[in-house]
Amino acid sequence: LRRCLSSVDVHRIEQSFWDIRRALQTKDTFKNITILSSLKNLDSIKPVDVCCVTRHLLTFYRDRVFKDHQETSHEVKRKISKIANLFLQMQRTLEQCVHSQCGCSQEATNATRIVQDNYNQLEVSSAALKSLGELDIFLAWIGKNHRETSAA
Amino acid sequence: MKNVLHWNPPKGQHGAEVTYTVQYFIYGQKEWLSVSGCRSISRTYCDLSAETSDYEHQYYAKVQATWETKCSEWAETGRFYPFLETQVGPPEVVLKTGEKSISIVLTAPEKWKINPKDDPVSMQQIYSNLKYNVSVYNTKSRMWSQYITNSTLEFTWLEPSIQYCIHVESFVPGPPRLPLPSQKRCFSTLKDRMSALK
Amino acid sequence: GVALLPAPQNLTVLSTNMKHLLMWSPVAQPRETVSYSVEYQGEYESLYTSHLWIPSSRCSPTDSLECDVTDDITATVPYNFRVRAMLGSQTSAWSTLEPPFNRNSTVLIPPRMVVTEYGLHLVIKLEDLGPLFEFLVFYWRKEPDATEHFKVVKSGDSPLHLGTMEPGATYCVKAQARVNAIGRHSAFSQTRCVKMQGESLPLA
Repeated sequence: LRRCLSSVDVHRIEQSFWDIRRALQTKDTFKNITILSSLKNLDSIKPVDVCCVTRHLLTFYRDRVFKDHQETSHEVKRKISKIANLFLQMQRTLEQCVHSQCGCSQEATNATRIVQDNYNQLEVSSAALKSLGELDIFLAWIGKNHRETSAA
Repeated sequence: MKNVLHWNPPKGQHGAEVTYTVQYFIYGQKEWLSVSGCRSISRTYCDLSAETSDYEHQYYAKVQATWETKCSEWAETGRFYPFLETQVGPPEVVLKTGEKSISIVLTAPEKWKINPKDDPVSMQQIYSNLKYNVSVYNTKSRMWSQYITNSTLEFTWLEPSIQYCIHVESFVPGPPRLPLPSQKRCFSTLKDRMSALK
Repeated sequence: GVALLPAPQNLTVLSTNMKHLLMWSPVAQPRETVSYSVEYQGEYESLYTSHLWIPSSRCSPTDSLECDVTDDITATVPYNFRVRAMLGSQTSAWSTLEPPFNRNSTVLIPPRMVVTEYGLHLVIKLEDLGPLFEFLVFYWRKEPDATEHFKVVKSGDSPLHLGTMEPGATYCVKAQARVNAIGRHSAFSQTRCVKMQGESLPLA
């Protein structure tokens, strides 16, 4: 899969997230539940599925997580806004870049449905907070899978 | 990926014999797990490398102090993600000098091994975007130059008969990690044949 | 507070080399110091959480008539800004920037550049314009049919060693700034030429 997403954008999102990571993860008290657990079994995902999973998860964050999260700290609000707007920009880049190459296999569809199911298990604000705290998992997954040569 | 938990002794227990017990939690699993080598220990660190060897999982750890008949609250870490947080050691540095040039051959460090007999795994295999920051110091002009590379660097612009010093840091683009720079290495370029003839 | 104060007018953004300055006209109140508050929305907020406005990181509040919003704008999408005046308990209505600002409209001007020679080394020092910038540096020996070389330099990687040159020869350098985040680059800087020390070698 040609590298659609610019690593610079991913790094800038990582920097914004890293500044608020502790604040978000500390408030997440449900250690025994993860939202993005299914990403772990997608490590040997086919390139064409990388695009489908990425698009679904960007949409998941856009339509649910960022909307459902209620934040009181202005500083955290600014960082989340940076991430949300960079996700919007990323989504457009992905759509322009892949056109038709973005099919969804059953495996990819299942993985993204598990994410939605995990989200629905929790009360909305807890689910949104946990999903924000797991952005490092999503960004690491993007970093690995959107590089032309992925590690063994 | 050698992951060692460190902590400070509790305040106000001077003289008392304090021992510690460590437990860890794999994020998304069900319960806290004990660490066989870190039950009622008196040192203030615990090597959790084996327990956290799956670097794609996230973990928590907690420590409880016990002295006399009392025990403390559990002190807990934040969520630890080895893949994003481990420090990457310096590369192996091999220098090949020419008359006015030098080649710096860099080889990625190896991942920590649970069993020393295991096959080595290069950090390059884990981080395909692993890079090196090479700093070159000209002892005559006292100028530093910096270069980013992912394997070998060749300098053809060196002046003859000058001592240069370099040090190299590994880095993975992404979240900030504490760098572990290599030792400083110095070398001198050979005398210029032309000047030798004058 | 009841909105008795007039709202600030003439909101504009002056953006040069990815540094964005929001400006507005003063709200006149004789013998009083009026302060202002700036808030913004990225495109995400305006599309999906339109009620949500975020206080600017530097100007909530400010007594100035301008606000550096560079740190608030981190994506290449349209941003809405609004400003209101405040005097004691009185606050004005919000005034909103029209049209929204997108950083891809920033004016890119060439970087300042200093070219020096250290013995036989040609070294260039470039203005640090921040992490979004990289520079394309072109250099050549001043002679007929010279070959033009070029290097890509990350902002902050300066001074840059271009190479070891021939004694006595003259070399020329020019540079342009590039911002991948908006897919644009500046014009070239002025060309600067430097003569290397030592006598020039006979041409082979």
